[in-house]
Amino acid sequence: MKTKKLTKLGLLTCLALIIFIIELRLPDLVPIPGVKLGLANIVTVYCIYTFTPAETAMMLFSRILLGALFSGNLMALWYSIAGGMLCFAGMTLLRRFADEKNMWFLSVAGAVLHNIGQITVAMIVLKSTTVLGYLPFLLISGCIAGLFTGICAQLVTKRLN
Amino acid sequence: MPEISRVLPMLMCLTLLTSCASDKAVSSTAADPNAKSSGSIFAMDTYITVTAYGENGDAGISAAKDEISRLEKMWSVTDENSEIYAVDHAGSAEMSISDETAELIEFALDMHERTGGALDISLYPVLCAWGFTTGEYRVPDDDEIAGLLARTGVGKIKLSGNNITLPDGMEIDLGAVAKGCAGDKAAAALKESGVECALLDLGGNIQTVGETKPDGKKWKIGIRDPYGEGSVATLEIGESAVITSGGYERYFEEDGVVYKHILDPKTGRPAESGLVSATAIGKEGRYCDSLSTSLYVLGAEGAEKLWRESEDFDMVLIAEDGSFIITEGIEDSFALTVPAEMKVLKR
Amino acid sequence: MSRRSIFIIITAVIMLGAGAWSVYLMLRPAGETVIISQDGKELYRLDITREPDRTIEAEYEGRKNIIEIKDGEVYMSHADCPDHICIETGKLRPDTPIVCLPNRLVIEYENSGLDGTAR
Repeated sequence: MKTKKLTKLGLLTCLALIIFIIELRLPDLVPIPGVKLGLANIVTVYCIYTFTPAETAMMLFSRILLGALFSGNLMALWYSIAGGMLCFAGMTLLRRFADEKNMWFLSVAGAVLHNIGQITVAMIVLKSTTVLGYLPFLLISGCIAGLFTGICAQLVTKRLN
Repeated sequence: MPEISRVLPMLMCLTLLTSCASDKAVSSTAADPNAKSSGSIFAMDTYITVTAYGENGDAGISAAKDEISRLEKMWSVTDENSEIYAVDHAGSAEMSISDETAELIEFALDMHERTGGALDISLYPVLCAWGFTTGEYRVPDDDEIAGLLARTGVGKIKLSGNNITLPDGMEIDLGAVAKGCAGDKAAAALKESGVECALLDLGGNIQTVGETKPDGKKWKIGIRDPYGEGSVATLEIGESAVITSGGYERYFEEDGVVYKHILDPKTGRPAESGLVSATAIGKEGRYCDSLSTSLYVLGAEGAEKLWRESEDFDMVLIAEDGSFIITEGIEDSFALTVPAEMKVLKR
Repeated sequence: MSRRSIFIIITAVIMLGAGAWSVYLMLRPAGETVIISQDGKELYRLDITREPDRTIEAEYEGRKNIIEIKDGEVYMSHADCPDHICIETGKLRPDTPIVCLPNRLVIEYENSGLDGTAR
């Protein structure tokens, strides 16, 4: 890997981490666990369109691991990893169908899959399907948040490239 | 058209017939060994429901209700004809009490020892000063609390056989054990009436009779959300008592400070142990009732220590940050219904 | 049809589906029967899905409770009792009854998945 690329990925990981930590400090908009904007997703979506899947995965999972360490919430790590994996897989696949003008859709799909992954882990951990009741609310918030971060990513990519 | 006019009444008859058939199935439950009956009474300062299964259900429920009313008459602190009222207003004279009351007081004194003083039946005057007994809440000042605490202390209770002597000014209240003990005795009354399967809900103290419900399933009990109305976890139990204490049950706010009704016997002020709810699960109601209060007062560390010293109960603690601590004995039957951090204590 | 319109349609379908699901979930506790009883006697048995918004008054030894039914939810809005715990309980939930001890009034769902709730 070229040093330039490595530096770029390192910087992006850092940026995503900062955004992630700052968002943690913001008060919750809705009292449902898991509902958030997911601003760090802007960086992920940008990477999907700029780097190879392997490079994006490196950035994303470093961010998730460090994010969990910095926020000191190990329980949340499992939710994030499951959500992150599903989100990453879905976005990588959809990348073939969605060009840069449709980045927003990739982001929406990513957010929705992220939420599905989180709820799946929660159901396994809690040994109960009760949390499934959160899913529809998470899906709606996921669509809105995904659209927002997707449009942000679209604008960012346009200006950077 | 003529076909329709002929078919329609026939269809209607058919519907009527089938609905009759299903009605019959419901009303024939009198002979059904799994029939469910329930009854409720207001007693011991709370709302009590008894649900019993089987043909002896109704007889069992009335026996349980009678038993609870009988015990309330003996142990009420406010009823002027109760044994406890007589003891509390005897000056410093020696009083003779019934076997059952003596046994329960002895049990409470024993629990005081075991919990390192977290359970204290002599705290009643302090509780009154805070208004938790009447609902006329106020914050007593430090001098007043110090004065009242001087009147407490179970060490000063002299109990020998059926004779009890309290120092002048002391008042005892069996509130922390009476409901649990009443549950035990009501459960015994249900069994004596031939009921093999029943659930007692004494204002949130849950006690079951029978290892399973008639359908062979375990009893499914919720644990109340200390911050809201629903439940935060479920527990599947056999014949057990599940008893929760939490500051949310009764509290008041003054000048922005929240004062909860469970007092720490050492300070005479609401216990600030870092817990918002403590649940004890065990075989005996009076034991779990006294434990839940004590665990709440002791806090996570003290509760863990008490659990390690004992062999005969399990617990669910909820801390102020919403995290759970449970013990290994209930690990497999416990399930959270909200996302939360959970620690399982192992021996 | 352009890719863009397909994507818009997919997003809209997810949103609408989730929306319908949320509405269904939010309305779900309804459909059960709410029982209001006083001193062990049943006063009202209401199918809360069909119950119009209304106010129910109950009296016990000269003291009054006012129960509000609004948009399929039940709560105590007024109680002539010293502690007002029943009002603080808020809206009726499937697993916790609203109880006014001094006035011996209980509002509860007929059945819930749990056999009891320790509280």
